[in-house]
Amino acid sequence: MRKMTPTMKMLGIALLLFLPAPIFIVFGASFNGSGYIQFPPESWSLRWYVEAFTDPRWGRAVLTSLWIAAVVAVLITAISFLAAYFTLRYAPKISGWLELAIFSPLFFPHASMGVAAVALMASMGVVGTPIAIILAHLMVTIPFSYRPIHVALKSVDPDLIRAAEVMGASELRALWDIILPICRSGILTSLLFTGIISFDEVTVTMFLIGPEITTLPVQIFTFIQDDASPVLAAISTLSVIITFIAILLLERVAGLSFFVQRQSS
Amino acid sequence: MNTGEKPTLAKGLMLLPALIVLGLFFTSVIMLFSNAFVDRGGFSLKYFEQILARPDYHVVFYRTVITSIIVALLAVLLAYPIALLLWRSEKHRNMLLIVVLVPWLVSLVVRTYGWIILLGPKGFVNAFLGWVGVIDTPLKLMFNDTGIIIGLTHVLIPFAVISILASLLSIEENLEEASRVLGAGRWQTFKTIVFPLSLPGVFTSLMVIYLACVGAIVTPLLLGGITEKFVGSQIYQEVMATFNMSKAAAWSICLLSLSFVSLVILKFIERRALRGQE
Repeated sequence: MRKMTPTMKMLGIALLLFLPAPIFIVFGASFNGSGYIQFPPESWSLRWYVEAFTDPRWGRAVLTSLWIAAVVAVLITAISFLAAYFTLRYAPKISGWLELAIFSPLFFPHASMGVAAVALMASMGVVGTPIAIILAHLMVTIPFSYRPIHVALKSVDPDLIRAAEVMGASELRALWDIILPICRSGILTSLLFTGIISFDEVTVTMFLIGPEITTLPVQIFTFIQDDASPVLAAISTLSVIITFIAILLLERVAGLSFFVQRQSS
Repeated sequence: MNTGEKPTLAKGLMLLPALIVLGLFFTSVIMLFSNAFVDRGGFSLKYFEQILARPDYHVVFYRTVITSIIVALLAVLLAYPIALLLWRSEKHRNMLLIVVLVPWLVSLVVRTYGWIILLGPKGFVNAFLGWVGVIDTPLKLMFNDTGIIIGLTHVLIPFAVISILASLLSIEENLEEASRVLGAGRWQTFKTIVFPLSLPGVFTSLMVIYLACVGAIVTPLLLGGITEKFVGSQIYQEVMATFNMSKAAAWSICLLSLSFVSLVILKFIERRALRGQE
């Protein structure tokens, strides 16, 4: 039975279309001409986009989120790669323990993680600085980075490495010319996936911002509570577009199969 | 890719950055405990007593747990048909997967904001129902449990789709064919082959969604308002409004224990449900 009954198919499609619905609503509301949120809009205008681009607070938040996401993605991917490479090649015995430690943040409710992070960052005196946000994002993203890289590295045939090194390649050369190309899609998945997570993270980040720094999602959150100006819809649409581009890029360069693989490690 | 070489200390340094990140995480957990259990330099249960003594706080815990269970079940129920659809449509799977991934990865705040526009007193749903003439006064869809349940369920369905789909994709095709050849109907095949084999994905979803719900802050705060408190929104207020870190830490530890107990119960149910498989 490779086919579904038409009723099930319709049900599946209807439910599937329900998923992006609120995003389209935000999209529609961003072209609203009146001074408060209305759906469907009575008149159309681009005034909220003009406001979003001219208000320096939004530009700053977008840039902050982008550069933090880039730094976090590169750092955590490098960190996970080194750890996975070392354990898989030299110390497979500790692999299980390392995974247990790396995946343990997943079992932590985000609210508790936020309080734990702010307790730690406050004692280090870095709350309200990019350092606090970056460190917290590294803790949040490490499982999502380690998994694709670990899966990719596991598929490398040790004979290839032995062959390269017997022929006189240094370890670095073998890494660069053999292992990295084989793990390409795992590494790219880690980079883009963790970048997206960092760019959109809000529950932990909102404890760590300060007067000097805030990220885009946290600023949207603060503004929703203060006043519900439609400029938020325009800003939200921009944030959706950035995430969407990153996902399309991920599909292009690495494929999406990672997301639907059953992990057997 | 183990090449059988012995690790040297210098090579072990490759592990260091990851250990630092993990070390920071575990230090933060220790800080959480020391904030909650230490008062004026000594061990104290003061903050836990403050929480447990308040009946209105019990309601907060109760609401959080019940809502999270409802959301987890609802999300899995609604995700299952989508997962089946994606499983069956090999040709368009990638495109459909993007339709699932985008709402999953777009910021929580943005998705919740969409629901505010939809569910608010002047929102789309009320405007539409009023226009059709079904209602005279706007329905209260926000700032109550309904709003929280709708928002959280919608936010978490994509994860359930992905995790159930992963289970479905790992089912061997010939199992299903064999069942059909032996004369089982569509429904019987689903009931005896497909569904039981998708259970690992179902349980993963239930667990992850439940955890995400009990630890949620943004959605309950924005859709539930300040009257319908969630553990998450309570914690947020302790930190950001009353600056009571110790009490926030005590709340967080209650939340942690709560999720831990729930996970153990869920694992127990899972083991019973999966008995006989493998």
